[in-house]
Amino acid sequence: MSLAHEPTTGATHTPVVIEELRKIYHADRAELAVRAVDGISFRIERGESVAIVGPSGCGKSTLLHVLGCLDRPTSGRYFLEGRDVAQLDEDDRARARNRHIGFVFQSFNLLPRMDAVENVELPLLYAGQRDTRARALRALERVGLADRAHHRPNELSGGQKQRVAIARALVTEPSIVLGDEPTGALDSRTGREVMELLGRLHAEGTTIVLVTHDLSVARSQDRVIRMRDGKIVGDGPAAAEIEAFVQENAGDFA
Amino acid sequence: MLIHETARTAWRSLAQNRLRTALTALGMIIGVTAVIAVLAIGEGAKASVEGRIRALGSNLLTVRPERAQGAVRSARVETLVRADADAIAELDGVEGVSPESTGTAQVKYREANLSSSIQGVTADFLPLRSLDVASGIGFSPDDDLGRARVAILGANVAYELFGERSAIGERIQIAGNGFTVVGVLGAKGDVGFMSPDDMVLVPLGTHEGVLFGQSYLGAITVKVRSEGESEDVRERIGELLRLRHRLRADAPDDFEIRSQTEMLATMGAITGTFTALLGSVAAVSLLVGGIGIMNIMLVSVRERTREIGVRMAVGARRRDILLQFLVEAVVVSIFGGLVGIFLGWLAAFAIARFGGWETIIPTYAYGLALGVSIAIGIVFGVGPARRASTLDPVEALRQE
Ligand SMILES: Nc1ncnc2c1ncn2[C@@H]1O[C@H](COP(=O)(O)OP(=O)(O)O)[C@@H](O)[C@H]1O
Ligand SMILES: [Mg+2]
Repeated sequence: MSLAHEPTTGATHTPVVIEELRKIYHADRAELAVRAVDGISFRIERGESVAIVGPSGCGKSTLLHVLGCLDRPTSGRYFLEGRDVAQLDEDDRARARNRHIGFVFQSFNLLPRMDAVENVELPLLYAGQRDTRARALRALERVGLADRAHHRPNELSGGQKQRVAIARALVTEPSIVLGDEPTGALDSRTGREVMELLGRLHAEGTTIVLVTHDLSVARSQDRVIRMRDGKIVGDGPAAAEIEAFVQENAGDFA
Repeated sequence: MLIHETARTAWRSLAQNRLRTALTALGMIIGVTAVIAVLAIGEGAKASVEGRIRALGSNLLTVRPERAQGAVRSARVETLVRADADAIAELDGVEGVSPESTGTAQVKYREANLSSSIQGVTADFLPLRSLDVASGIGFSPDDDLGRARVAILGANVAYELFGERSAIGERIQIAGNGFTVVGVLGAKGDVGFMSPDDMVLVPLGTHEGVLFGQSYLGAITVKVRSEGESEDVRERIGELLRLRHRLRADAPDDFEIRSQTEMLATMGAITGTFTALLGSVAAVSLLVGGIGIMNIMLVSVRERTREIGVRMAVGARRRDILLQFLVEAVVVSIFGGLVGIFLGWLAAFAIARFGGWETIIPTYAYGLALGVSIAIGIVFGVGPARRASTLDPVEALRQE
């Protein structure tokens, strides 16, 4: 028997709770099977900022896709705002992505033929809301790009594009913002600017989960989760985990 | 997403790729243009045929000999004679009769030579058919009785024999007999079957006695006093002819009486069939247009896979994506339909202006063209749209 709702304490749910989550590609053919996410459990509290670090191919993106309801886990449980995601149908999952998730990609993923404000407006249109233009403009203001509202992506710098993408992720006031290497395509200075912006949003109460290769990015989060081969090998305060991560990889630099 | 947002999105994505949109719509444009032009020609032909028959006079009955049942096809039909026409003229409600004989013969003027329909008619023919000579004179009763060797030429015949010169008073040969041209008919501008423009008229007596040597009529045209009496008169003629032809009660009629309305209906049916035939050929090009839309939509879905992934990531449901691409296909096909309607209208105008054919675009054609456009957009857009909507979001986002 499975519970549709995770037991809660008080009035609000924990934004994200996962238990023994697995994502196995080609699960039906043993010789091809890839255990991209292999039995992961954690919870993310409201207002937390978490960095996920680990070597390339260890399953970070896969985990983030599952958290973002873009992908279904092979097994395990996932409660988003207290609701069991496994119980959701396609439309409900689209609605969950719309209401509860803000996704920020490494390659921005803005629609090239729309200007900044239209890109930010898109989630509100799919939410069927009114006043979408005004709300999109306010979100652009929050990321400091009100004056670029009518610029197309190809008229914006990389850092500006990522800020538009962050505005798009924020505009529906989601439970959690997920970033898959959001500074990965930026030079270190604009990367720092984007991180400052995310830091400010976090300070304003946004829950953030970032996948990153950049230890300085990881260091500025509350908490760091270390992954290897689809498993968690460490989960704790940023300073301690980064120390462990550096130790662990010391051999690679020797 | 709200439907008008979907339509706006579709419109923008089409507007931003004008050339492709135009090429996608091209098939539809050609198809709709063809359908509209064909319908306009068909409707115009129908109207001109109806107009021609109506121009004969609104209360005419045509009596024709009917081949006796069981007779071989080639057997001569020899039932109607002039005395029948004279008797019909005496009936109540009959305003005039025109006995007519038909034949075909060589007509020659110097080197010019053509085969033409030769109609034997009386002096009553022209007024009864609402025809008039453009130059010269009509026949007199004496021409008929005296078997005068005079002829009236249809406009086309006169032009072919004489060009721009006057034919009046010239000597021509009909089946080797010398005739004097006394009149030329005004051009009716009609084309095709039994147009007076293509006839040569000679006095009925001459037709029987000099040219074809037979005294049986091809038809008797009867003018009824008023249209309301048409049915009564038709019955009276039927009774009279059965009596005159001594038909037994169980014998079928050896003649056939047809009214204007029946001829209109027959001609309408013929042109209608013709139009439907051409129209379905044109409709095939609509099918090709639809396949063109499907093809480009499939390419578009592939090219915009990443966009589809992004839309899904920010909350688009499958049906939002489906609708977006479907609306795009329908917008293209409506666009093609509208341009096609305009070009079809232009083509109909040009055909009438420079081709000399009457063209009329029936009002239903506009609705039909638009409806068919929408239907084609849906039918051929739904496949690509479904493909777009069933993409896996993670796969789609990975796409370049
Ligand atoms: N669609 C897929 N089919 C098969 N294997 C996949 C697929 N996507 C990812 N993988 C594999 O899953 C593992 C984890 O991938 P990913 O989550 O992208 O790693 P990371 O983001 O940590 O670099 C990798 O070994 C990768 O090759
Ligand atoms: Mg990755």
